[in-house]
Amino acid sequence: MKILDIAFKDLVRSTRSLFLIGMAFAAPLLIVALIYFSFGSIAGEEVTTLDISMGVVNLDVLPEDALLEAPLGDNIRSMFFDESVESWITASDYPDEAAARAAVDAQEIGVAVIIPKTFTEDYLAGNKDTAITILQDPILTVAPTLVRDMVTSLLDGVAGGGIAFNVLNERLEANGQMLDPADIPTFFERYANWYADFQRAMFHSPEKAALVATSPVSKGEQTSSTQGIFAMVLSGQLIFFSFFTGSYSMMSILQESEEGTLARLFTTPTDRMTILAGKFLSVLFTVIIQGVVLMVASYYIFGVNWGKTGSFTLSLLGQMFASVGLAALLVSFIQTTKQAGLIFGGALTTLGMVSGLFTSNISIKAFDIIGNFTPQGWVLKAWRLTLAGNPVSELIVPFLVLVAMGSVMFVIGAMLFRRRFA
Amino acid sequence: MMRIIDLALKDLSQIFRDKRSLLFLVAMPVAFTFFMGFAYQSGKDSETIIDARIPLGWVNNDPDGAVSQTLFEMLSESDSVKVVELTPDAVDESIRKGEVAGALIVPVGYSEQVTAGKDAQLNLITDTNTARGQSLYQLVRTPVTQLMSALEVASLSADMVDKPNDASELNKAFASASQAWSEADSASLVQVELAVSEDDFQGDWFGDNPYNQASPGILVQFAIMGLVSSGQILVQERKTRTLQRMMSTSMRSWEIIAGHALAMFGVVFIQVALLVVFGQLVLSVDYLSNPLGTLLVSAALSMWVAAMGMLIGTIVKDDSQVILFALMAMFVFSALGGTWFPLEVSRGGFAALGKVMPSYWAMNGYQNILIRGLGLESAWMPTLALLAYALGFFVLAVWRFRKMDV
Repeated sequence: MKILDIAFKDLVRSTRSLFLIGMAFAAPLLIVALIYFSFGSIAGEEVTTLDISMGVVNLDVLPEDALLEAPLGDNIRSMFFDESVESWITASDYPDEAAARAAVDAQEIGVAVIIPKTFTEDYLAGNKDTAITILQDPILTVAPTLVRDMVTSLLDGVAGGGIAFNVLNERLEANGQMLDPADIPTFFERYANWYADFQRAMFHSPEKAALVATSPVSKGEQTSSTQGIFAMVLSGQLIFFSFFTGSYSMMSILQESEEGTLARLFTTPTDRMTILAGKFLSVLFTVIIQGVVLMVASYYIFGVNWGKTGSFTLSLLGQMFASVGLAALLVSFIQTTKQAGLIFGGALTTLGMVSGLFTSNISIKAFDIIGNFTPQGWVLKAWRLTLAGNPVSELIVPFLVLVAMGSVMFVIGAMLFRRRFA
Repeated sequence: MMRIIDLALKDLSQIFRDKRSLLFLVAMPVAFTFFMGFAYQSGKDSETIIDARIPLGWVNNDPDGAVSQTLFEMLSESDSVKVVELTPDAVDESIRKGEVAGALIVPVGYSEQVTAGKDAQLNLITDTNTARGQSLYQLVRTPVTQLMSALEVASLSADMVDKPNDASELNKAFASASQAWSEADSASLVQVELAVSEDDFQGDWFGDNPYNQASPGILVQFAIMGLVSSGQILVQERKTRTLQRMMSTSMRSWEIIAGHALAMFGVVFIQVALLVVFGQLVLSVDYLSNPLGTLLVSAALSMWVAAMGMLIGTIVKDDSQVILFALMAMFVFSALGGTWFPLEVSRGGFAALGKVMPSYWAMNGYQNILIRGLGLESAWMPTLALLAYALGFFVLAVWRFRKMDV
């Protein structure tokens, strides 16, 4: 009963702490919201494309004897000025390469597409030495890739037209027929229309696309990749702040020690282990409340699906054990509340970083390996399995590891405390 | 002026006595820089692995189909994809264990349907939230496009020779088109070039060194972490009643704030300088390719952080609130300013907001030097932006200090 009294007293004290409330609830939700709004929207729809600011230098001219109506450069240029992309591409014309380079250097645009003068002529002649240059700001990664994909895709369309024409000639010849020049425009138009429809379906109509990507989690159902990313980002933040909350809740021991109330408590006929157990229990309750509140909030705010109930429960419990255990261990090394800020911040952030909590949406081998030796790493493993829709049986090993880690750290921390307050 | 310097020196002597905190101010960012660089490097390495051979599960529910067989051959000939034949039941587990990055499921009757011009979907099961999944999707998309093109070409060609329903004619045309696609290479007609000052530079977006992104990113983030120390100065003075005593002297409010801010500028600047030296000597991050530019950006960054720390010190009531506010500031400015991830992946409003953040300007200044290879002129704008922020925060801190109940 005394344990519960002490735990309840500490819990009440925690709820009055603006700091703890901020660190336990406001900070993780704020960070996730920041990242969430940077990519998607609260409505939970798929990520829309980026805002690409780019330039086009179209020097391409049509050779005199060409059958085409316009040089290929014109098609490439118009693709970036098309109204279908104006919501995410802002394109400008530049008279020459030097002007485009200057604009990229000045960071006025991120990408410049430079189409050389003889591109169409060389392309039609089968000369592959003349290439389109995509000049990019070295900082950028996504925009240049998208622009390159668009150009390549258009060239594939042109190549497809060429292939279609060659195959037609070959088949006509094989069937003893001749090509009527009047049929050529119709033939090309049919192929071009098909290709445009095909690309449109591929990028804008998943239900009609020839290839559709689905998440292994959904086992056939389309899921929002935005939500998938945020589930992982949020789990990383949740773990980080769960450990933070556990440690800072445990600071009440240091505060009471500094304020002198702990010494007074030790004069009562209450066993020291009972006092410490009460305090640890309070931390456990705090971390549980935090975990549940954050998960419920993220479910309703960000639409995060936390997986199967059993797996979710095991992950959360494992996280609780580990965070309380580590909190007990860390606090046992700290002498004053003044030291606590930087040491908690330092130790927990470092452990979080090397366990992959800040890169939780991608799997980095080095962090995965290091994570095998840290409680945060095992909690992250548990959440990854849970978010991937795995059953409880898959969570048993991580859960047991976390219980073992948490227990060992807790026992060491408790022993050190006993020695300190003996 | 002497009073301000005296106050700053007093603060510095206090700060340098706390060895443990000092250790964290320097050792932690160093460790972080290593790990972030390691992460970026790992990312790079994995990209290389992906480019070499990315394992793709192949589940063919249309085993006798000519079209699915052609697709299988196209994928097998790819230098980027390693096709692993799977049974439908093994897909989930193989993906979960990482044996394959994804699995392409060919539906029953696929060849018959697409040859007849009906819609049929290939399903690529992969986690497109990951770089690996995204890469796989891009790698599979090209052969699928070419396959569908070959089918369309065959259909058009058969129409033109008046044999629209002749299976033999369709097959021959399809084979010719498939063969032609296997020899086509549109990607070779597009070359990507980085806009950097060195003509002979051939690298990636990290400027050929993953630490070019990690080092300034962590440097800026941990400079902001220094807010804990600067914010705590005023809190400690209020606790020990020295602030009240100082207020009874002839020192003006702005002088008190300036003195403390100067000390904090010193601490943050030393931290930044150490990280710059560490980056230069240990990680080969070439800050000294433009020493004056680096100095300007670093000094302006330190001024902004010191001023913001003072503002936090005037707002908070105790040490724990300092930590909370400092961490919040660190997370917000780091996330918004592009120290964690490039702002190019952000959406309109967020990206626009990010680009007015002081942390963005600090990153921009360092990246101009380290990655873009630009000259001193590229450091002026970031420096001025940071100084404007420093002044703004300083004015706010003085205003708030005057209203403080000491």
